[in-house]
Amino acid sequence: MGQNKRIKVGFYALTSCYGCQLQFAMMDELLNALGRLEVKCWYMLDRNSVEDEPVDIALIEGSVSTEEGVELVKKIRKNAKIVVAVGACAVQGGVQSWTDKPLDELWKTVYGDAKVKFQPKMAEPVSKYIKVDYNIYGCPPEKRDFIYALGTLLIGSWPEDIDYPVCVECRLRGYPCVLIEKSEPCLGPLTRAGCDARCPAHGIPCIGCRGAIGYDVAWFDSLARVFKERGLTREEIIERMKIFNAHNPKIEGMVDKIFEVVKE
Amino acid sequence: MSMKNLYLPITVDHIARVEGKGGVEIAVDDEGVKEVRLNIIEGPRFFEAITVGKKLDEALAVYPRICSFCSAAHKLTAVEAAENAVGFTPREEIQALRDVLYIGDMLESHALHLYLLVLPDYLGYSGPLHMVDEYKKEIGIALELKNLGSWVMEVLGSRAIHQENAVLGGFGRLPDKSILETMKRRLKGALPKVEYTFELFAKLEQYGEVEGPITHLAVKPRGDVYGIYGDYLKASDGNEFLSEDYREHIKEFVVEHSFAKHSHYHGKPFMVGAISRVVNNAETLYGRAKELYEGHKELLKATNPFANNLAQALELVYFTERAIDLIDKALAKWPVKPRDGVKIRDGFGVSTTEAPRGVLVYALGVRDGKVSYADIITPTAFNLAMMEEHVRMMAEKHYSDDPERLKLLAEMVVRAYDPCISCSVHVARL
Repeated sequence: MGQNKRIKVGFYALTSCYGCQLQFAMMDELLNALGRLEVKCWYMLDRNSVEDEPVDIALIEGSVSTEEGVELVKKIRKNAKIVVAVGACAVQGGVQSWTDKPLDELWKTVYGDAKVKFQPKMAEPVSKYIKVDYNIYGCPPEKRDFIYALGTLLIGSWPEDIDYPVCVECRLRGYPCVLIEKSEPCLGPLTRAGCDARCPAHGIPCIGCRGAIGYDVAWFDSLARVFKERGLTREEIIERMKIFNAHNPKIEGMVDKIFEVVKE
Repeated sequence: MSMKNLYLPITVDHIARVEGKGGVEIAVDDEGVKEVRLNIIEGPRFFEAITVGKKLDEALAVYPRICSFCSAAHKLTAVEAAENAVGFTPREEIQALRDVLYIGDMLESHALHLYLLVLPDYLGYSGPLHMVDEYKKEIGIALELKNLGSWVMEVLGSRAIHQENAVLGGFGRLPDKSILETMKRRLKGALPKVEYTFELFAKLEQYGEVEGPITHLAVKPRGDVYGIYGDYLKASDGNEFLSEDYREHIKEFVVEHSFAKHSHYHGKPFMVGAISRVVNNAETLYGRAKELYEGHKELLKATNPFANNLAQALELVYFTERAIDLIDKALAKWPVKPRDGVKIRDGFGVSTTEAPRGVLVYALGVRDGKVSYADIITPTAFNLAMMEEHVRMMAEKHYSDDPERLKLLAEMVVRAYDPCISCSVHVARL
């Protein structure tokens, strides 16, 4: 991407709280970038938005939770050179995925026997349906996540993934360890860094909003062992680890290892 | 033989500059407007069904995710409902600081709505990003006020969206006294800007097409001081009832064109929001906001949804002043212990607060440390039926005009309500 050409971007919404777009909209830095960006689609801020037009960078917030959402992500993929999944819903399916109950049971609890003319689905990450080129993590992402990702793409380079956990940032800042000193179920050891350990800084255990760290180095089993020593049950541990990682296929198997060892 | 004419419905697939995904469909035939529907296509998220059976503190961390524009409102209302359920009452100074955090949400949300979502329509722009060069002052004030609200939430809530620092029993950590002093100074510094905002929005047209009687519902403020928390709901028909009896007065029902349910109060559509608070509780205002209210009563009327914009501007003035007083209240008790231990007992609790967009209800049951019952009703779910009614009134006057003009006017009605569509589809139990 050349230095002077305006980059066409679209910010598309699936099912979410709109917090990723709000975070992006709240950045004063966005105004400085306007000279480099041509916003083709951003319904939250612009009536003059078109969903079905080519863009260089497509930002997608939200989980795929309706049949319409499936069609939309396919359309976006077709139109975009680079697709960026933004935030916990788009990347990991979001907190709306934090359930084992089947869709019809959820539907009945809420709507009874009534029907609505649109088709709902169980919430799923965008990558379930299309190829995603880059992820911006967080619920919500930090402002600097946007600056780094877009800034890097705008100069024609490619942003890196963060590959170390919240614990690293927490130790570097010297906060008291919520897990060891306060004995609270902190998910910092397996959650992707980038938040400056915001919650531990407030004496609060991490709930994992940036999602489990990638490259298969999220040691759910090690942390499960610590939680188990603190008296948490298998179900409690799995539920906590799944708040923001409901679709992670590793959690149950790794936690089970800890509980089976004890049975022997 | 006369043939019946066929008309395509006038539709806006995706209403821009609102939170969440919704559309408007206006069906017209020879006799005029046949049907108006607000299609709520934002996918359902089943928050109540998901959180039942989950640990209380984990559920409380998840509820704010219902909506980013009012995440502090969701967090604090859920926390109060949970504290009511387990029989805990926060200290006065903690309550004061929770109010300040909530006001941060109010300031950010109102500033964002008024300047970035509403104003572009009146100035002929499709969105605020195009106004940056021409309306430097307005965009500057918008950013300053929204940044102030965000910063208040960062200081007290740990961040501007999804405030993990607000927990059962108080706060994870409280800021230094000096930061609260700075907060007071920054709020004082914003007073000329919020007043400018009020004067600006007092000049904007409130469309007569949608003029008519409206029943308003609002929380009756505690201690008779205009505010956010309260234990009674008050209707503009003179009725008052205990918050926990909300189900006896408000009925929800499913409509087939919406993932969000509609609500009726005593069988009829009603409105909640800043204008409803002003209509029902104006006598509890004080300070500069009280003077502005007295001078502009005729514009802050109960009969027009567009008055909601000006009512939000009035609240920017009120809540900026109010936050300063609340900070003083907390500072008088400094140093303040951030948190009390809360014993988790079984129980049931209701909290009703005034979110930026109106009455927010949380009813939570707790059993064995887990959520055993959850019912959440959001302001936009309350408003949808009335909103549809007002779009219909607008359509009836303009259905034969240029469809683009009608679409814009219909959208403006919707935007005046400041709907939070994600909120409305979170979604409530039957």
